[in-house]
Amino acid sequence: MMKKFREVILLLLLLSFVPHAEGTRYSLPGKPALTRCRSPEKETFTCWWEPGSDGGLPTTYALYYRKENSETVYECPDYHTAGKNSCFFNKNDTSIWVNYNITVVASNALGSTFSDPVDIDVVYIGEGDVEGEVVLLLIIQPDVKPNPPEKVAVTVMEDKGWPFLRVSWEPPHKADTRSGWITLIYELRVKLEGENEWEMHLAGQQKMFNIFSLRSGGRYLVQVRCKPDHGFWSEWSSASHIKVPDYFHRERSVWILITVFFAFIFLIVSWCIHINSHSLKHCILPPVPGPKIRGFDKQLLKNGKSEDIFSALVVSDFPPTSSSNYEDLLVEYLEVYIPEEQELILEESKDLHDGCLKPKGSTFDSDSGRGSCDSHTLLMDKCGEAKDDGRQTDQDGSQTGSEAQRQQAAWEQEALTYAHEDMISPDMSSGRVKTWPSVFSPLPQYSLSPLSQPSSLETAKQHCLSDSLFPPSSLSSYLTQPGQSTKEALRSSCSDFCSSNKQPLLLHPQPDARHQLQARSDVSISSISHKEAPAGLQLPTVRSTEYVEVHTVNEEDMVLLHPVPVGHSHGKGCLQTHQGEDYSKVNGVDKNNVLLLQREVMEEQVDMCPCENKDANGATESYCTSSAQKSIPCIHTALPVQEEKAVNGYVDTATMFPLPIH
Amino acid sequence: MPGNIRSVCAVWAMLVCLVFCGKLTTVDAAPLCTNAQAGCHVLSLANLFDRVIQHSARMHGISNDLHSEFELYFLPSKNQIGRVSRNCHTSSILTPNGKENAQRMAREELTEVILKLLVAWRDPLWHFHQSMAHHHDFNNFSSNKSLEMSDMVHELRKGVQKVVEKMQMLGIISNSVSNLASPEALLASDSAEWRLMKDYDLLYCFRRDSNKVQNYLKILKCRIVPEHGC
Repeated sequence: MMKKFREVILLLLLLSFVPHAEGTRYSLPGKPALTRCRSPEKETFTCWWEPGSDGGLPTTYALYYRKENSETVYECPDYHTAGKNSCFFNKNDTSIWVNYNITVVASNALGSTFSDPVDIDVVYIGEGDVEGEVVLLLIIQPDVKPNPPEKVAVTVMEDKGWPFLRVSWEPPHKADTRSGWITLIYELRVKLEGENEWEMHLAGQQKMFNIFSLRSGGRYLVQVRCKPDHGFWSEWSSASHIKVPDYFHRERSVWILITVFFAFIFLIVSWCIHINSHSLKHCILPPVPGPKIRGFDKQLLKNGKSEDIFSALVVSDFPPTSSSNYEDLLVEYLEVYIPEEQELILEESKDLHDGCLKPKGSTFDSDSGRGSCDSHTLLMDKCGEAKDDGRQTDQDGSQTGSEAQRQQAAWEQEALTYAHEDMISPDMSSGRVKTWPSVFSPLPQYSLSPLSQPSSLETAKQHCLSDSLFPPSSLSSYLTQPGQSTKEALRSSCSDFCSSNKQPLLLHPQPDARHQLQARSDVSISSISHKEAPAGLQLPTVRSTEYVEVHTVNEEDMVLLHPVPVGHSHGKGCLQTHQGEDYSKVNGVDKNNVLLLQREVMEEQVDMCPCENKDANGATESYCTSSAQKSIPCIHTALPVQEEKAVNGYVDTATMFPLPIH
Repeated sequence: MPGNIRSVCAVWAMLVCLVFCGKLTTVDAAPLCTNAQAGCHVLSLANLFDRVIQHSARMHGISNDLHSEFELYFLPSKNQIGRVSRNCHTSSILTPNGKENAQRMAREELTEVILKLLVAWRDPLWHFHQSMAHHHDFNNFSSNKSLEMSDMVHELRKGVQKVVEKMQMLGIISNSVSNLASPEALLASDSAEWRLMKDYDLLYCFRRDSNKVQNYLKILKCRIVPEHGC
């Protein structure tokens, strides 16, 4: 029993020792291997190896090398400088451009193991890529790996107010670049603190570098590294910190100024817009014009009573059915007062043209035909009245002479109208504009204030003559039927009138006075038969250039015309010498409210005696003896200028008709 | 007229070809002028040195590339011993193997070493290029590099000679530097050792020698004209 027990115990002990005995089996050391060799400055180099398994016994390593073309085997001179498992070759032992055959031997008590030899050229130190026992490939690579650059200094400098970084460094003290033995190229990198991206700059062989485009107030990190011509990059130098000062204060002030400036401008612009908001609204969003129907009541429309609306539209008094006063519809006519030895000149103001063309009937009694005695003021006054009453210019004709700008169409209309209305002389109505409907119409409407007292007949004749002087030709351009017929009609009518002698006319005292009535389309002067006129009155040829000027309106609302002679001396009873010029057409009204007549050259030479014309070439005087209408002062009229422009309007002169001379 | 056009076209085509071919073939070193030549501004010694050093750097780069390509194509033999005993034909030229040695050497000696090296490699490289051209294994790129390399050696030698002349003119070095342009001086020593070498060994040796040349030139430059980049 005991023996068996001992055997079991021995067996157990043996069993227990067996693994222990196996674990402590000694063997040769594993094969070491050279991992890398480095030279920092191409003058010394260091090799490191990797030990293999140690085989359980303390192992020592030794490095042996052989130089090229030599069989001498040397051992590593320095195992400690470079650390464990390294060998450092100092300058004396280093030969450049010489092949080193290096072998590492691992030794223990049992034996030694050799590593694979590696050929090393310091310039082109290769890294053995050893696997197992087979050398697959020896890749020879230059492995001069210098130390990092030293004394990296970073400073902030300024260039025209903008800062930049100046980085300067020195090569590693071991690398001898001064002798040209080794040539290093440098590279640096910069980044902001806290960022992850580095900005790389290649500096070449220089030892200084400038970095621009910095952020104000930023903290930067700078690092430098170097590399020989053929070799590895060194490690990065330790980071240098630098802080860029804030230089945007100056910029900020500029921005503040700009902001303030623009805010100011914005305020001004908004203020202007606010001021002109109304007009701007009209400019941008013009108001939609609403319907403007006279008599149309929007309220009615809104109320929805269509009957009322449309009834309002109906104008009761249209078309005119009642036999209203034609005189009311007619444009006012002029009563020509021709004082003795005076010539009438019609004048008219521009204002009259604008607004005075209104039926004077509305404001005047049937004796209308009032012109303004004093051409300027009265006409203007009438203009004011006209405007007050409303614009009814389409029915107006000026008494004294409308403007040349008067529309011809309107004239024609009126002429036709008048012609239509003319009851007395239908012949004349064929296009002639009548100025003296009252002459042929009921006489009471026609009022004349006798300035002088020629015989009524004479006056009438004179008047008629002056009327006859009304040049049909001038009218012809605007009227439908010019011609002799009208003249004849005129004459006949005039003669009728004269014979009727119903009303005294204010005529020129001179029988031979030129009655140049220059009236507008509305004014038609009845003509006096030429047969009578020249015989009795020695009426001058109507060619003489005269201007009939309306001077005053007498108390009876009669227009007193006043001829303004131009450059002619008038003698009583003589015909005015007419240079063959006739003013039969109205050119226009100048700024002085003077009716400008157009001179028409006529062939006839009328021997005219100088007639009394106190207005010769000059100032005109009011011949109105009584001018009491509405206390309108008489205005001196300036001498009308002879115009030979194109005639917009025309004024019939009484002298147009070529009277036979005798 | 067609005749004129043809001639013009021919001349133009020739010019184009000349220009194009000129660009393809060589990397010419900058022409160096003597003082006597007109229309050519004289370069300073530092400038000459810079040019020469750049040239040598380029030459070394090409040789390095070629050597790497060779290693890819031709695995090095396991015969490591053979590598160690490889003998470059220029090993007879005594070259300083360290910085101190190089600095201790006189300028004239150093210059002569450079020139010797450059002269020694002119023929082998030419033959190397010839052999490469005949081998269809190599691509055109390698063939062009070999041609460029051989030309550069030639140009570099001429450049270094110019530098030597300038230095001698400036009195920096004595006139003891022999004129190594004469081929007779080297043919005797050169013999045909290099013909026994394999292409790969040739490249290996040339790579090393070109690095030597570059280094020696730098040392010379920083010793003689140290103001620029030293």
